[in-house]
Amino acid sequence: MKSLLEEIEACRLAFRQAIQRVKDRASLEEVRATFLGRKRGKVTALFEAFKNLPVEEKPFIGRELNNLKNELTAALEKKEAELIEVKKDKVERIDLTLPGKKRYLGSPHPITLFLEEIERIFLEMGFSIEEGPEIETDYYNFEALNFPPHHPARDSWDTLYIKNDLLLRTHTSPVQVRVMERQRPPIRIIVPGKVFRREAIDPTHLPMFYQVEGLVVDEGVTFAHLKGTLEYFLKALFGEKTKVRFRPSYFPFTEPSAEVDIECTVCRGNDSSCQVCGGSGWKEVLGAGMVDPQVLKNVNIDPERYSGWAFGLGIERTAMLLYGLNDMRLFYENDLRFLRQFRRK
Amino acid sequence: MKISYEWLQDFIDLSIKPEELIYQLNRLGFMVEKVEEKEGDHVLEIETYANRPDTLGHLGIAREIAAALNLKLKEKSWPIKEAPILTSDLISIEISEPNLCSRYCGLVVREVKVGPSPDWLRRRLEKIGLRSINNVVDVTNYVLMATGHPIHAFDYQRLVGPRIVVRSARRGEKLRLLGGEIIELSPENLVIADAEKPIALAGIIGGEDSAVTNETTEIFIESAWFNPISIRRTRKHFGLDTDASYRFERGADINFPPIAAKMAASLLSEFGGQVTREMIDVYPIPYRPKEVLLRLSKVKDLLGVEIEGSFIHSLFQSLGFEIHSTTNLNFLVRVPSHRIDIEREADLIEEIARFYGYDQIPAVIPPLKVIEKIPNRRQSQLKKIRYLLHHLGFDEVLNFSFSDPDRERTFKTGLQPISLSNPLSLKASVLRTTLLGGLLENVAYNQKRGLESLRLFEIGNIYFWENNNPVEKLFLGLAINGWFDQPSWSHRGEKADFFHLKGALEVLLNELRYEPFVFSPGENNFFEPGYCLSLEIKGDRLGYLGKIKSEILREFDIEDEVYAAEINLTALLAKQPRPFNYIPVSRFPAIIRDLSFLVDKEIPYEEIRRSLFNLDLPYLESFDLIDRFTSPHLGEDQVSLTLRFVYRHPSRTLLAEEADKIDKRIIAYLRSNFQAKLREGGQN
Repeated sequence: MKSLLEEIEACRLAFRQAIQRVKDRASLEEVRATFLGRKRGKVTALFEAFKNLPVEEKPFIGRELNNLKNELTAALEKKEAELIEVKKDKVERIDLTLPGKKRYLGSPHPITLFLEEIERIFLEMGFSIEEGPEIETDYYNFEALNFPPHHPARDSWDTLYIKNDLLLRTHTSPVQVRVMERQRPPIRIIVPGKVFRREAIDPTHLPMFYQVEGLVVDEGVTFAHLKGTLEYFLKALFGEKTKVRFRPSYFPFTEPSAEVDIECTVCRGNDSSCQVCGGSGWKEVLGAGMVDPQVLKNVNIDPERYSGWAFGLGIERTAMLLYGLNDMRLFYENDLRFLRQFRRK
Repeated sequence: MKISYEWLQDFIDLSIKPEELIYQLNRLGFMVEKVEEKEGDHVLEIETYANRPDTLGHLGIAREIAAALNLKLKEKSWPIKEAPILTSDLISIEISEPNLCSRYCGLVVREVKVGPSPDWLRRRLEKIGLRSINNVVDVTNYVLMATGHPIHAFDYQRLVGPRIVVRSARRGEKLRLLGGEIIELSPENLVIADAEKPIALAGIIGGEDSAVTNETTEIFIESAWFNPISIRRTRKHFGLDTDASYRFERGADINFPPIAAKMAASLLSEFGGQVTREMIDVYPIPYRPKEVLLRLSKVKDLLGVEIEGSFIHSLFQSLGFEIHSTTNLNFLVRVPSHRIDIEREADLIEEIARFYGYDQIPAVIPPLKVIEKIPNRRQSQLKKIRYLLHHLGFDEVLNFSFSDPDRERTFKTGLQPISLSNPLSLKASVLRTTLLGGLLENVAYNQKRGLESLRLFEIGNIYFWENNNPVEKLFLGLAINGWFDQPSWSHRGEKADFFHLKGALEVLLNELRYEPFVFSPGENNFFEPGYCLSLEIKGDRLGYLGKIKSEILREFDIEDEVYAAEINLTALLAKQPRPFNYIPVSRFPAIIRDLSFLVDKEIPYEEIRRSLFNLDLPYLESFDLIDRFTSPHLGEDQVSLTLRFVYRHPSRTLLAEEADKIDKRIIAYLRSNFQAKLREGGQN
């Protein structure tokens, strides 16, 4: 029977041989189990045998055993570290410059995008959004808005008819009347929607387009408020530096009426041959005015007590200015290469 | 309308540069759209307004400029060479429709030599784009363009009677117009007739047979006032838009006919004409001037700026209004007859604002008063739908609401399309009854441009007749085609199929909480038979989804499959979304069991799913179909379904024995109800 000291030495030799043969993680773990395993490990067995030694041998052998265990543990750790190093060297590097795995996100139509932007500005000013039917009666589209039958002003609103009294609304203004009929002032609304005109398609005309209508009715509403609010709106939309011009115009449903121009976004008034503004330096963006007293009377709102202002804005025309487009038809061709360029801010 | 700077000088002494004139006109609302320089003159193209017929001539523009610049209109005399004979000795005039023609002036000019116009006259007309015809016609055009009042010249010797009757046409009467066209008249048309027959369409166009020719020596000049509505109706009926009708239908100045006639007579005197004495002036319904009260307080209330009474006073004076200042606070204003647009206080206030200057009125942001918002759930839901669809990879398109009736017919939507009575073209003569036509066009268009992955949606109205009422309903249309997932370095890509579309709809409906919703086999003319589901919520059918029929795709020239859906949003948004309930999250572990069954292929999965769902099994948190395959080894008519069940107890750890029990219930249930066999080794 070998002495415990000899066994310690034999174990050390066996370990040194074993550890040299280790090539990978698995064999390393095997070696660790063989020598240091809790149940069957050789060193563990030596510690068991150590318990039965006479007391006088214990200090010396004990030291030897601890040395052995420390040596083994250290060697295993060193080997483990080596293995990790080797692995780092050998494994193929991932090319992190490859494109990411993307999911395609759809895009909003530019008209929708633009409407959202306009709605946002007015919602912040405390306006509500209202809607109305696209098929309208002559009464709401014209008569209630102070277009008498046979009035030449109707010629400017070239109308698509369904039958005598039924038509495709030529503007979003009928919704003004519908809202005022069911709601008493104060009223502060915008009305986005499709409108229709009997116009042949060309780069600046469409038989169907979008409008946003605005209406404010309350006590003490003035033309100065109309100017202030619309100026604020146009600057919010086109930028703080945008110059805005109000000039007299005529609409049957407003009095006084105004047309509102912004400084040409392309030439800023510096190019007399500018294609966008025709050299005038200004671009018309909306029509507006104080609600005609007859319109208020038509919906039983007392024009002596209340006043109001309204505006109407053509979406395509304005979006063209904002995005720098020269052909309105692009909006309805639905070429995705065009549409997909428009993203929410 | 074209305005010559030089011509304006006839009425006012203009010392300002043309640029300043343009600025002033723009400021007053007369947008100068174009400026041409001709022979040292500036010709301005000016935007006109339907309510301002008084500005459809140089005189009217001069009035505006005079008021803006504080100038006086020039007084001009119109000398006449008189003939020693009374007008009434040569002709009689009678108005039988005084409401349609409320004033008619006439005189005869004798011994006129018809011929070319003098240079100055020809040049003036040509500058503003009119062709010189002969001195007589040119004089009528000159008066029109100078004053805005249309007049007409007849060959006196061709008038039977000689007599002028302003009357309604008799049914069947015919009139040969200037230029030769013959029209058939009806009693709705007001005509100028002689003793026998109509000789002109009143206020619109003259007749050929009474027209001035080179042989004419005696001329009858007509200067009248016609009812705007009557002119407009007749003009529209015959499609005859003339310079005269344009002005009469907007409203002429009833005080002006004698002046216009005199101007013409004076000019014709220059060409040797002699004018009959005492113009005939038939004026059955005299004009009553309008009086309007203007309150200074209302000016401020409406414009939001204090404007001095003295400014207002002098403005109205220079615009030719008579002012009766009743108090310091009010003006009573008498409106001149040429201002047919002014009837009310608001109209006067607009005049004040115009001349005060829109640019001088301050821009004031009103104090933000809190007004109760009108909630718009529809708008916010629509916004949410759009956002969800963008996240699901759908691009938004917008199509016109018009459609081709032939196309609508082939779609067989079962809805009665609404036709337009005056469409621009046949191809756009009805309103769409479906969104899918537009979407398929968009697919074809983009496919031709090389786009290989298409996921489109549109939100918009469809239109149809229902019980003789026009109905518009908001719909959502979806179409997918090509790659759902394009191939890339990391994967081989996936073609869009029916289940991608269905999945998108499921996500959408779940997110909006329109639950529970049911898809069941459906039939629709857009989709291949057996390849279509209908969407139902609480028993209402809200839409369809499926694979578009190949013959429809051929018509649109589309390659490979298109899967599409159409959902009635009006109906969907009217549904009450499932209320949100918070369900406490269990902190205890789940037991997950995968069970594989063999079932008959013909049994729809949805039936199995629904009946398991309705079983209301204890502790069953969720279950999903995680694998499905067929194989010859399974038998021709069999399919293998692997379901993953997640069991969990809300308040303690669930025991394996409890899960086993539920498994057994499921197995037994599927066996007895669907003849489902548990697959060997299928239980993990």
